[in-house]
Amino acid sequence: MASADSQSRFGQSVKGLLSDKVGSCSGDVIALTRQVLKGSRSQELLGQAARNMVLQEDAILHSEDSLRKMSIITTHLQYQQEAIQKNVEHSKNLQDQLSHLLK
Amino acid sequence: MAAVGDEAAAMDSISREPAAQPAALHPAAGGAAPAERPDPAAESPAAAPKKTGTNSDGGVETAEEAVEPAESDINELCSEMFDKMALFLQGELTATCEDYRLLENMNKLTSLKYMEMKDISVNISCNLQDLNNKYASLQPYLDQINKIEEQVSSLEQAAYKLDAYSKKLEARFKKLEKR
Repeated sequence: MASADSQSRFGQSVKGLLSDKVGSCSGDVIALTRQVLKGSRSQELLGQAARNMVLQEDAILHSEDSLRKMSIITTHLQYQQEAIQKNVEHSKNLQDQLSHLLK
Repeated sequence: MAAVGDEAAAMDSISREPAAQPAALHPAAGGAAPAERPDPAAESPAAAPKKTGTNSDGGVETAEEAVEPAESDINELCSEMFDKMALFLQGELTATCEDYRLLENMNKLTSLKYMEMKDISVNISCNLQDLNNKYASLQPYLDQINKIEEQVSSLEQAAYKLDAYSKKLEARFKKLEKR
């Protein structure tokens, strides 16, 4: 194999050999980089994480809507409680009148 | 074509002296250094592109390495090559960095959303606690309302009894009136 390579490179100039070597080294560096990135599986994992987060977004928005509705309901309950407080103060007089009637 | 013939001759001379390689290496190194130094001198392409020679010293033939003069822009080409290689590698790694940045931004936005939801939840919790306390303070009034309701029921029963008694009285009065 080495002899075949040396025979195929026999007719080429030093410049050509050097350029071939530089080209092959560059290709090896590129392939190594790609292999390292591919082996780390970072692209797949990060893509999967982004997809999962997008799937959760709907649930998060729904939860936020529910919380806002709860806040509005709580405000309405406060208004009702204030109205009850106002009206309940009349019950004392009413009870006195009834106890007087039932005597 | 002539250059190819000269190169073949140089390669032949090199291949014929394998034992003289250590000795050839030193003159080759000495020959390469002068070949690298005169870069301005290599500008003249008319000059001999190769330096080959045989020296016979004590019956031992040596040969120099066949070299070509370096081009004037070879340094620029080399630096350009390395720059582009670095740019390519940077681009390859930037893709992963951008993925991380995307996830980081998404996480930041989600954390902001959750902080808003937390504020709303805290607000709701405080309001509901106040409401529970106020409804607890209303309890005596609610008991009063229950008593009022019982008293009203008993009043209603008394009214029914009174109504029935008054009807009996009316019937007896009419009976006595007929007599």
